[in-house]
Amino acid sequence: MKKNIGKTRIGFFSLSCCEGCELAVLELNRDFVNALGFVEILESRILREKNPEQELGIAFVEGSIVGKDDLEKIQKIRQRSKFLVAMGACATIAGIPGIRNSLPEKTKSALPLHAVKKPLAAVHRLSDFVKVDFELQGCAINEKEFLKILVQLHHGFFPRLEEVPVCKECKEKENPCLLLKGIACLGPVTYAGCDALCPGVKAQCIGCRGFTKDANFASLKSMFKEFGLKGNEIKNLFTYFNNNPFEKGGF
Amino acid sequence: MNIFQASNCPAWKFLNDFCVIVLGYFLKKKNLLPYLEFLQEENGLQAIVPVVNSNGATCFEELSKENSENLFLDSKAFFSAKKFFLPNREREFLFEKKAASFEIHETIKHRHKVLFGLRSCDLHALNALDKVFLDFYGYDSLYRNKRNTVLTIGLECLKPEKNCFCESFGTSKPDFFDLFFWEKKDGFFVEIGSPEWEKLYCKKFFEKTRENRNSQKENCSLKLETKNIAELLEKNFENPVWEKESEKCLSCSSCTQICPTCYCFAIEDFFIPGTEDSERYREWDSCQLQQFTRINAGIFRQSRKSRLRQFVMHKLSFFRQQHNVHLCVGCGRCIDACPAKISLVEIASQIQKNPIGAD
Repeated sequence: MKKNIGKTRIGFFSLSCCEGCELAVLELNRDFVNALGFVEILESRILREKNPEQELGIAFVEGSIVGKDDLEKIQKIRQRSKFLVAMGACATIAGIPGIRNSLPEKTKSALPLHAVKKPLAAVHRLSDFVKVDFELQGCAINEKEFLKILVQLHHGFFPRLEEVPVCKECKEKENPCLLLKGIACLGPVTYAGCDALCPGVKAQCIGCRGFTKDANFASLKSMFKEFGLKGNEIKNLFTYFNNNPFEKGGF
Repeated sequence: MNIFQASNCPAWKFLNDFCVIVLGYFLKKKNLLPYLEFLQEENGLQAIVPVVNSNGATCFEELSKENSENLFLDSKAFFSAKKFFLPNREREFLFEKKAASFEIHETIKHRHKVLFGLRSCDLHALNALDKVFLDFYGYDSLYRNKRNTVLTIGLECLKPEKNCFCESFGTSKPDFFDLFFWEKKDGFFVEIGSPEWEKLYCKKFFEKTRENRNSQKENCSLKLETKNIAELLEKNFENPVWEKESEKCLSCSSCTQICPTCYCFAIEDFFIPGTEDSERYREWDSCQLQQFTRINAGIFRQSRKSRLRQFVMHKLSFFRQQHNVHLCVGCGRCIDACPAKISLVEIASQIQKNPIGAD
């Protein structure tokens, strides 16, 4: 291992999104200030006045690719950064902007897309077009997870990818199971890391952290049908966040 | 261990069942809470009791002013007391970087605890964990430090729940406790189980008694034939039942999280931000997840079927071959917790009905 690693040069970028993930990073408060000891923020729309384009160690990118200008922007960022980390539901699973993909054709044509310069036919996540080294899930991201990944990458270690469903953390938190009460919850097919925030307050999981690779959709769908949900309601629940055109949980 | 239970001699059994004179005391029901508070205040123990938590689930928590009204003594708690011995996330040690080496710092600070309200199945589950972490591979210091600072008070189950099947494993008979409370009319008969019980003695509340520990326990409705089950499952490794049941499985890992005897964990190192020191953490892991068997060459328990089979076989077959007890204690928590309603008993009895490779 090198003795003096030096500061890691990072930048934050926003495509089509609410920029909430970048704000979530600021919620680290004291830890954020401490992190400035080993990190240099070179580009950020919120934190810096001038943002000249520079070589970067890690680029954190939030938001999904809606139009051609988003696409050009992300390709440029990829070229000048060593690591690219997709941040938040929009960047990893197309998220809220991606609801457009799941709408019926009639509604889709009525959308005011003239606001977007050269809109693409569908809303995409980052990994559809560029190589993404790591994905930080969630809407908004878990700031502690962000810090963990930042520190690991800074030391030159690749973070371990946890493939754990929300149910695991929900049981650790000792919450009563919503599925056992007949409430349609996406916990068993969604990545954990959120400390089971929604089931902890008796709200169903709506899958903002993306579906696990190992998800058993068939079993969960038949369970929801037993609960009395109609086909359309099930589809709406599954495509609340998970709207990537190539991978939508069977829809 | 209790001498009456240690012996299998018929005469002893007779004595045990009908005219036992076990040294014991009587505790009135109204004195239960004052007794637990006494242990906390006078004896300096941290009292852990089964309560209904703020979310409405039953679990074990430290007794405090807020939750003393929510004591849950009707049946077994949904979440077991496993977390006090194997926390879901625990720091093993910190390694500090020196000029040419590392220095390891451990922190071992545990308050002495008393766990009240462990059911017979929970006590047997603790024994199974002891076998893994204290007897078999040498000992695990993290587990031992916690285990040695815990005293246990058992509590009798009068009415088993619908998914209980402890009688099938013989775990309905309490063992491995310091004190055991047998339910009586308006009180408990307190049986003494270990020399450590004196730490739990309370002159003010324990009365002399002529009561005995005769139990009016109802039998479990769910039953599993455990004779030769280990060998039978071994022969039925490719039974079509596994495939059929695993189609329902969500691989959510609820069964392993909630099981009082599931002990598998993962280990990970973390850098402390801004320093060159690191910490090693231990976290619960689950055989129901693909990441559990990820090695450099890939995942070797890729299919859902193989993962579900691993869970059932470990409970009923593999562990018995190593340690001579079943890892399952028949508490039925995995059946309670499964959203897909997969039942370990159901799988085992289906295999017993339609075995393959039967001579």
